[in-house]
Amino acid sequence: MSVKYTPVQWNRVKYCYDALLVAGTILFLAVFLPLPPEALGHTRPVDPQITNARAFGACAFVMLSIILMIGPLARLDDRVLPLLYNRRHFGVLTCLVALTHAYFVLNWYFAFSPTDKWAASLSANTSYGQALGFPFETLGIFALLCLLVLAATSHDFWLKFLGAPLWKGLHMLIYPAYAAVVGHIALGALQSQEVTTFAWITAFLSLGVAGLHLAAALQARMSPDPQAHAVPDPAWREVCDVTDLREGFAQIAQLPDGKRVAVFLHEGQISAISNACAHQNGPLGEGRIVNCLVTCPWHGFQYDVRNGQSPAPFTEKIPTYRVRLKGSRVQVDPVANPPGTPVPPVPLSKAARV
Amino acid sequence: MSEKPFFIGYAAVPTALRFVMGLVSALLIGGAAVLGYAIGHAQDDPGDGAFRFDYGRQTVTGVIELTPLPVMHVIEGSEQIAAGDTLMLSGAGKNGALPRAAALDGQMAQASGVLLQRGEIDMLQLRGGRNGLQAAAGDGTTPAPVDLGHWKLAGEICDGKCLAGAMRPGRGISHRACANLCIQGGIPPVFVSTQPVEGEEFLMITGPGFSPLPEAIYDAVALYISAEGQLSRHGDLLVWALEPDTIEVLP
Repeated sequence: MSVKYTPVQWNRVKYCYDALLVAGTILFLAVFLPLPPEALGHTRPVDPQITNARAFGACAFVMLSIILMIGPLARLDDRVLPLLYNRRHFGVLTCLVALTHAYFVLNWYFAFSPTDKWAASLSANTSYGQALGFPFETLGIFALLCLLVLAATSHDFWLKFLGAPLWKGLHMLIYPAYAAVVGHIALGALQSQEVTTFAWITAFLSLGVAGLHLAAALQARMSPDPQAHAVPDPAWREVCDVTDLREGFAQIAQLPDGKRVAVFLHEGQISAISNACAHQNGPLGEGRIVNCLVTCPWHGFQYDVRNGQSPAPFTEKIPTYRVRLKGSRVQVDPVANPPGTPVPPVPLSKAARV
Repeated sequence: MSEKPFFIGYAAVPTALRFVMGLVSALLIGGAAVLGYAIGHAQDDPGDGAFRFDYGRQTVTGVIELTPLPVMHVIEGSEQIAAGDTLMLSGAGKNGALPRAAALDGQMAQASGVLLQRGEIDMLQLRGGRNGLQAAAGDGTTPAPVDLGHWKLAGEICDGKCLAGAMRPGRGISHRACANLCIQGGIPPVFVSTQPVEGEEFLMITGPGFSPLPEAIYDAVALYISAEGQLSRHGDLLVWALEPDTIEVLP
């Protein structure tokens, strides 16, 4: 949570997370780069510039694959959520590694020519009509531009400036970027290699990314959030029974407009808020109440369940919903209140009186 | 609803999650090392081509022939280049030697530079300006080309300089754009045949009738292809006048 924009709001977990990222990246490169030609069975060494390009390129691909696995893994098992916490730093580091790969490629394969190297990167191979020999560099350039846009807009300033829905939509660029990276590798490096190890690793990682997303989607389809049921009074929707509620936790239901409401029980009183965190639309209903505040499971943003407002000095707000009890049934008004609107919580003890 | 530990980034990590986070961290670090080694270890042998800086500067004299790109039939060799050799010539980087050699066709010239060598393929990267190539005194004639007939061959079009060792590896689809830039810049293109032809695996290629290679050829560079053309021997160098219409990309 933030009140002002600083480059990074550091805490111990972020330090550890970033140290792990840097250590993993350095280790990958440190193992890859110094392999001597004798160890590889080569007559002469691969050019250092090409080795560098390969090492940084392969590292960026592995990093991007892991980044894309974190999301669905966290959906399948919430113990993976700590990896999601600082994923944007992972993305920025991946962009830097990919940029280094591009630097070595540009200043080796496209250098030393009468043609300007930037122009040459697009003009040297224009066989777009064929699969074999396709200008795979263009796919890499596209992916790199996407990564640069994502890295440049990764800060919470842009999240706030663009709003969570637009920001998240923009950051969906990671998927076409990843597809382009896989195409870049498949039509480039893999076409030139007789040893198939990298082809198997590429297939394993890319199919792993696709498989985990399919598994997460399948799980969401198999156990979707329940629909809020219609009741005789069209102004209300039924979410659950009071016996389904548990102190400090929520029941989530989908409303007719497609949005989700999270109904919390806190200190024996029922309140309903939007399920979407104002930060990155994280699932607030999958969080819990900590220190009297609903806490998002993704990044720990917090809200007072009675008014949808973050505690001072923070300024984030989310929509609230009117809630009532009909017998033991919990009902909400599906029309959301403006973000931060206070709504009196409904004590459980009133259940029989409505 | 669950009793599962709840992670909040800025709060103390729940004890129950510490083991999982430690395990995941170890997996990521170990995985980085394993993948770095596995991918790094899986690189193909780039071959033995190289700039032979260890030979020192080579200066030779011979007759220039434009095929249409320049080659030199060596008459007075050096320590590493024998008389009778036929050398492909190039400038620095991705620049050919034609601008300097055009006026010397059929004439004696002195060439000086660094040798690139890969197996039987030799190329001399000339020094800059007249230090690299200049007219020389003496008598010499271009050896008469020997027509070896019409051939259909399978293999790969490369740029002769990177293939000879200016880059390692200097062939394959990863190198395709670089090869195109080299050929566009006037570096002699070379065909690497899958089967030896007249005892040679490398053939310098030209367009039909020994014309410059047409641009259509760029779509076939670095691919496994078959093509037809007239083959001839120029000195000890095979030159294949490739007919672009006959190119077929092979699986």
